[in-house]
Amino acid sequence: MEIAVVGNSEFILGFRLAGIQKTYAADSDESLVEQVNRAMGDKDVGIIVLKGEDMQKLPFRLRTALSESVKPTVIAIGGETGGLSMRERIKRSVGVDLWK
Amino acid sequence: MALNVKPTRSELIDMKKKIKLSERGYNILKMKRDGLILEFFKVLEDAKKSRGALVEGYDRATKMIAVANTVEGSIRVKGAAMAVKENPQITLKEKNIMGVVVPDIEASSVRKTVTQRGYGVLGSSPVIDDTADAFEELVEAIIEAAEIETTMKRLLDEIESTKRRVNALEFKVIPELKQARDFIKMRLDEMERDELVRLKKIRAKSQAK
Repeated sequence: MEIAVVGNSEFILGFRLAGIQKTYAADSDESLVEQVNRAMGDKDVGIIVLKGEDMQKLPFRLRTALSESVKPTVIAIGGETGGLSMRERIKRSVGVDLWK
Repeated sequence: MALNVKPTRSELIDMKKKIKLSERGYNILKMKRDGLILEFFKVLEDAKKSRGALVEGYDRATKMIAVANTVEGSIRVKGAAMAVKENPQITLKEKNIMGVVVPDIEASSVRKTVTQRGYGVLGSSPVIDDTADAFEELVEAIIEAAEIETTMKRLLDEIESTKRRVNALEFKVIPELKQARDFIKMRLDEMERDELVRLKKIRAKSQAK
């Protein structure tokens, strides 16, 4: 299975340098949603990489679907926004804010 | 609810059995819940570390690619990027933690030597090599984070549902069963007292004759 990256062409470029083939360029908010759905639909994708800010741009339902998704796993990277969604889930399930 | 119960002795015996069974189940579930939370704490430590590595790796990689773009020009960087053919592959296997199925991810062809990458010695420079290196490291960190975060999600789901079952047993099922049992006992005692009174009256009557 492969790794997929969705984001603007700048973001994607570095990952192509590492060899990732499944890169989905999205330079506007609508195309972002489109490309994310395409990546989710691709059977051969195991991990999807997104920029944290891009995650925030997605509609709420899509964002929840992405955080819940196990196959493929979605990773938001870059800055504070990446780790926060985990923190929310932990607070909800265990009841205590355990993050840092 | 409890009012559908017939106040008979056999019902009482049944109730007692059910209560015993439910309490046993309740204790076992509590242990499961606590065990899951312990496992979760272990994973949490790893998760914090892997998130940290991700953030660090990403910062480093973005800086390097900015440098590479400045030094080499973005066209050369893009050219090198397009030329890399070795695609990192991941294989998903499953691991079992306290009954929860979690992923075990193995990666291959993430880290590559300069020759393996495929952009050729002429098409690149040390700066681009280092940038590719930094991104490869980032991809490794991403894969590890993906494995750990999915494990956490699955553990959390299981913790949530076990917690709900424990609470349901503790606050609804067992109290209702106990209520039913107490109700039956009360009725049976009442009926016995009625019998006694009736017997007394009859005896009194037959003696008065």
